[in-house]
Order: sequence, then structure tokens, then C-alpha cells
Amino acid sequence: MNCEVCQLKELEVEHIEVREVLRCILHTILFHRALGLVRPKDVDLELFDITYVQCGDVEHEKKINEKIDHFIDRVEKHPNKKNQICLSFYEVKNKQATWFTNKVERHYWEQWYINLNTVQHPKTHSGKSHHPKVVVDPGETASEERNARRTALESSLREVLFQIIKFVNEKKDHVPPIPNLDGVSFPYEITISSSSDSAFGMDMLKRMLQTGHPTMLS
Amino acid sequence: MASNHGNTNSEPATNEQIITEFFAKSLHIILESRCPYVSSRNYSGEQVLSSPSSSSSSSSIFWPRDKWFNLALKDCSAALENIDFWRQSYLEPMVVDVVLVQRSSNWDPLNCSPKRALVRNLSSKERYYWNSENDEYRNEVMSEKIIERWVVEYESKKCSNIGGGGGGSGSKRWSSTSSHTLYKKSTLLLRSLYVTVRLLPAYKLFRDLISSAQIGMYNLGHRVSSFVEPFTHTEEAEMQRFVFTPLDTACGRLCLSVLYRSSISDVSSEPSTPMSPQFIPDYVGSPMADPLKTFPSGPLPQGSPSFSHLGRRHSWSYDLYKASPPSGIPSPSPSYSESHATFAKPHSYRLPPTGGTRHLPDETPQEHVKNTNYDEYSPSPNFSMSPSPSPPTYTPGIHISNALKRSESAPVSIPAIRASGIPPLFYNQMLPPSPPLRPSKSSLAKMDCRSTLLQAGSTVDKIFPFGKDEAGRLTGVKISSNSSPQKSISRSSSRLSFPDDYDESEFSGPFVVDEDDMTDPGSRPGSFDPVGNPCGQNDHLGVSAVKKSQDAAVGALVCMLKKAPPLQQDLQNSANLLHGSRPEILKATTIDPNQISGQPVMQQSAAMSSAASLLAPKTTADALEELHGYAVMKNSLLKQGGDHKHT
Repeated sequence: MNCEVCQLKELEVEHIEVREVLRCILHTILFHRALGLVRPKDVDLELFDITYVQCGDVEHEKKINEKIDHFIDRVEKHPNKKNQICLSFYEVKNKQATWFTNKVERHYWEQWYINLNTVQHPKTHSGKSHHPKVVVDPGETASEERNARRTALESSLREVLFQIIKFVNEKKDHVPPIPNLDGVSFPYEITISSSSDSAFGMDMLKRMLQTGHPTMLS
Repeated sequence: MASNHGNTNSEPATNEQIITEFFAKSLHIILESRCPYVSSRNYSGEQVLSSPSSSSSSSSIFWPRDKWFNLALKDCSAALENIDFWRQSYLEPMVVDVVLVQRSSNWDPLNCSPKRALVRNLSSKERYYWNSENDEYRNEVMSEKIIERWVVEYESKKCSNIGGGGGGSGSKRWSSTSSHTLYKKSTLLLRSLYVTVRLLPAYKLFRDLISSAQIGMYNLGHRVSSFVEPFTHTEEAEMQRFVFTPLDTACGRLCLSVLYRSSISDVSSEPSTPMSPQFIPDYVGSPMADPLKTFPSGPLPQGSPSFSHLGRRHSWSYDLYKASPPSGIPSPSPSYSESHATFAKPHSYRLPPTGGTRHLPDETPQEHVKNTNYDEYSPSPNFSMSPSPSPPTYTPGIHISNALKRSESAPVSIPAIRASGIPPLFYNQMLPPSPPLRPSKSSLAKMDCRSTLLQAGSTVDKIFPFGKDEAGRLTGVKISSNSSPQKSISRSSSRLSFPDDYDESEFSGPFVVDEDDMTDPGSRPGSFDPVGNPCGQNDHLGVSAVKKSQDAAVGALVCMLKKAPPLQQDLQNSANLLHGSRPEILKATTIDPNQISGQPVMQQSAAMSSAASLLAPKTTADALEELHGYAVMKNSLLKQGGDHKHT
């Protein structure tokens, strides 16, 4: 079975927006893959006029929050970088130890790459300017720019969500049969990498070796 | 995972069931996020299932219908009521129109009241808004626009054993579109549908409605049918289409698509389908309206307890004076929705009906009309919170009239004065239809029972109801007893500006009766004892004589007051008037010297003193003293009248 890969549109986000953007995207993907019995939970974003859906599983929500916290810590240490969060769904194929690894072999049948370009815009110099009149203008300009950026980001986020919906609709055959489980029915993992990491490409290579199939980039 | 090979016979039946439930589930998902009214009732007959896993969502109770596609949704009665047709046959397409209904721009949502909403005894085609409390009609124009059109249909085709449609590769066997696969793909599709309905612009309107942010401004309705009028090219050009990937089965293809307006803000600002305005003949103030109809007491515009009395008698004038109700528009509480649960049924709840009748299939001779599951446009109960009548224009004249009435704490039915801002017709309507504004002997006898100064003042007000100078001063006396002198002067002066507007002929005041009494004692109206004891025949002449004397004194006083100049006016003019009126006063007082016992001297002296005081410059204190004098005079008259009655 092929591994379907979806590269989502890159989003330029500020640090304060990372959490909401990631939660929205990750939960939307998970909801589409939570094919067990679920009671959807609608969540309204605070920074954007978007309502996304969670599968309602508390454990998975906690797991996602932890990953997001880890990502935010990483971003704060290394700002202004392009980061990638990979949400991978796999099947446990073989539990037997092999030459290369003692771990259980995972067969990744779907991978979602969330591309975020975290930026940190300079703050206004309201308290340092010697000209009071100048203070007002940069503040207003920065606020307007922030609003424009946020509006654009909201539009881009909507595009990403529709991208997910289209991908889920167009590719269904690779999805394994629904197990008799509630909530998220397929195991998954979330990995974080950034452009500066030397292991950024190694992760990709590792998965290629584990899956045994060439990665199909959409 | 069930084997497909061993269940070939049941595959078609299972697929049909999956498709049927898909229709139901998709309708549920759509209406759940578009129909503001969601029933909280649990439909009986279904056994509640408990979740086998503790890792589920907050609620562990799942209905049997929740098990389908592993998606537990909130109750949506609209969906459950409209799906019966497609449960019987999914071969007909299911079209769900989400309609945005907007009110006209001059609508006042602040006056919305949940009690005055529903159209009573009106068919679904009518556009009237009926105000149930005031028997008032309003003309309103509403527009509706289809902002979303969801189409769920199963395109059947010749069953084939060689592969499905275009969903998968051609080399797949027909078992690849087995029930299990179909079920999995349907589950995925419904997941996408659930997410999509929340990303479309109409969802924001829905959220605003349920959060009571836009109550009164617009409402969302829905229509579920198997056939609808297609959009025009223009309309379709304004909409965007999103098509979900069809699900191929062995015998057909399950398709789901949506046409939606990408920009709802444009829709909300431009009513596209104005309904025909319906003019309502019976509005408040029309002759057809009942002027005596009582209205619920609300916040008094001036906060005066006396005004409530006046409000009761002048019921609809009070209504005109009534301030706008609080802006706390009732929110669509669940209890309210539940109380109107029955209205969600088709044909049973209509307010306000839509103008989209052209979309109703029962108006179009189509065979699909036989669809018994067709649901007419069903607005939510939120829409039923129709406004109360908008408050009338609050003119300064009316305000002055209210101010004057405030001082009349006694339950006087006679308005003392008519404000200049009030049109004559309104003033007439202010008057209570019941007559006894005429200060007959009966009314004077009634005054005997009253002991307060205000009541006495109102009695005097009855006697001297005119907005002339004299009346102004007299009522100024009364007013000042309750308020500051400054107010008394201002009110009296304001009253003094009205004399030209006042029309004596419109008012059957006691003065006329007094004159009649004075000229023709025999024509006095029949005796009446307000206490309830009918006067005996032997006492009739005595009582009449006493009352005649009282009337004469009162009449004399009236004459004096009428001719007396107003306060703060030219002293010369006042002196002239006084000289002119003095002989008349003396004459009036001397006409019945024998009939007035005990008081004529006091009355005359009071009259003379008051007349003399007109020459001197007036101050606030002087006016106050004068008022006191009048009050004393009045009390004496009343006392004497009571004494003569009991003797």
C-alpha cells in the first residue's frame, strides 16, 4: 500500500499564532482519521474567525497539546525559521526485530506535512522615540500591518483546511479498514523538524527506509 | 473485517442501507449547523447505547443512529422530520436550501417581544406580522435569499460486476466497492462534510443567531425537497461550488455538492427577493382600534404614580407615551425553543412566512411535488420575536402635558389642560370616553370624600379645566402644593401660553354646567349621591339649593379667574381686566346671597383679595401665598358642601 503524502501550504505565523494554527490543522486531520465512534467537538479559534472540529478524545487532545508546546519551545529558541510538523499515520506491520532496528515496524500509509514559517516582527518603539508624534504613527502602522497579516493568515488557514478536505476526499483507497475502536482509530505520530536541522532530511530518509517504498510527494 | 465473498447476497441490501443512512446523516449534519432551532428532546423508541470505551467524548450516551458512520450528532428535529421520504427511496435527490431571511431596514429589533410574534390563524402564505398584544398590524418587507444549496443524490447506473466507477482503478474487482469499503468511504465523506459546513460563510450567520447577536435582523431557514427551481445564471455566477468526491458503488454513484455564497455580507446588505408589503389597517390610533383597550403597564415615562391612573384610562395614549422596552431582547433559550417545538413541523409554524413561494413545489405542477416529505420554509423561533410597536414620536408638547399630569396625583379623569403640541384629534382621544368630566353636583359631592389637598386641587382642576390665564394660575396653586414654586410658575406660565389653542367646545367642562345652573336652577341634573345613598325626595330641594349656592360661588370664582390677568404680565392689562371683572364678580356674589351660607363673605373676600393682589408685582412667594389662599378657599367650599349635604 502506498503512502500518501500531503504537503500543506506554507503559512507565515507569529509566535502567538502558532498554537492556534497548529491545533486547528492537527485536529482537523485527526478528525478525518478518527473513524471510530466519536462525538465531534466544535472549537472556535480566538485569533481567527474559524471553527474547527476535534474528535473529542481527551487523550489525543492532550498528546497534541504536548507536541505543540514542544514545537513552541523550539520556535522560541530558534525564531525566524521555517519549521515542519509531520503528522504520520501508520500501521504496525511486523513486530519482529530486524537487522536494522529492534523496534516494531511501522508502515506509514499517510503523512501530512505542516509547513510553518514562524516570524517575529519587531515591536514598536513607542517608549523610546523622542518625538511623540512619531510614536503614534508607527504604533498604528504596526497594528494595521498586524491586522492585515492576520487576515491574510486566516484566509491561508482556510485554504489549508480546504486542502485537507480535498485530499481526504480524493484519496480514500489507501486508508486501512476501520478497526473496532472508538475515537482515533489509527496510530499516529507527530514529528517536528526545522530547516536548519541536520536531521531535517534524515527523518525523511529514515521513513523511506522503514516504509520500504519511495515517498510520493504530492 | 467481514469477508465480501461470503455475503454477496446481502451486499446490495447493505449498500442500500448505507446509502439511505448516508442521506439521513448528511441532512442531519447540514441542518444541525444551519437550523438555529435544535430540539433538545430525545426521540423515544431508541435504546440508548453506552460507549464501550472510556476514551470517547464527554458524553458516553450514544443513540443507535449515532452508530451510523461513527458520528454522534446533536439532536436535530428538523432533520429527523424531513428524512422520511428519502428513507423510502433514495433515488430522488435531496436538495437542502439554506435561506437567509432579512427584515426591512426600518425594523426596530429592540421592540421585539417573544409574545408578539407568531402569526395567528394565518396561513403560511401570508406575510402579516400580527402584534398579538396591541391588535396591531405592521407592514413589513422581508427578503430571502438562498445562500447555500446542498445536493445529495444517488445516481444509479447499470450494475456491473467489473469494477466500480471512477473511484478506483479499473482493475479492481467489484468487491472493492463492497459494503465495508462503501461504509468506510461514506464515513470519510461525512467527516469532510462535517468540517466543511463549519468553514462556509453561512456557519457564521448560524453562530450569530444562536448566540442571539443578530436576533431580529435576520434569520436562517431551510427547505428540504427533491426538486427546486434552478438558479439563474446570474445567481449561480455569484455562488461557488464545492463538490465532494463521489462514492462509486456497484450500481451507482453517491454524490454530494454544495453551491454557496462566498460573501454573506453582501447578501445581508442587499435584500434580493422583497416580499409583497402588506399594509395593516388597524394600527394604534386608527378608528378601528379600540381606544379603551388596556395595555400592559410598563415603565412609566415620567415615573409618576398618577400617570398610571391616567394611563389606564387613556390606555392607548399611554401606549404612545410608553418608552421603548428594554433592549434586552430575549435570547433563544432552550426553554423557549422547546416551548415552540411543535412549530418546527412543516406547515404548523409560520412566522413570518417567506416570500419565496416561488420556490415551493406545491405551487409548481411537478410530479415531484408528491414528495410528502417536502418541508416548507421553516424559520426558527428566533424569527418569531417580532417587535412591539415602535415608540411614537415624543413631542415636547406631550412632554409638557405629562409634566402637568404628574402634578395631578389624584385619579382625575379630566386632563386639566391641553398641550400645544398635541393635535386636536389626539387631545380628544386623550379624553376618557366616559363622561363625567362635567362637574355636576354629583362630581362635587364626590369631592367631599376626598381629604387631600391634591384631590381638592384636582377638584378645582375639574372645575377650572381651561388653559386660560385664570386656570393657569389656579392650577398653579395646585401644582405648587406639591412642587417647588419655580415649577409652579413655569408650569403656570406654560399653561398660560395655551389659551388660544384650547377649544372650549371640545370640552364639556363644569363651567358650562355651572352657567346653566346659575341661570336655570331648575335644570339642574338629577341628584346623585356618590356614597350610594339615593337622595330622598324631601331632601332634593334643600340639597339642590345648597349646591346651587356652591355652584354660584364657584361660578363667580371662575369668572374672576377667567378675567384675571396672568402672572408676570403687564399690570396695566391686568388692572383693566380686573376692573372689568370686578362688577361681575360682585354681581355673581350677590346673586345668591341667601343661598350661600357661611361662606360667601369668605369667598368674596378671597376673591377680592386675589383680584387686588393681581395689581402688585408677583414673586414666587406671592404666587405661593396666592395658591395657598385658593386652596383654603376651595377647602372651605368643599367643607361647606359636605356640611350642607349631611344636614
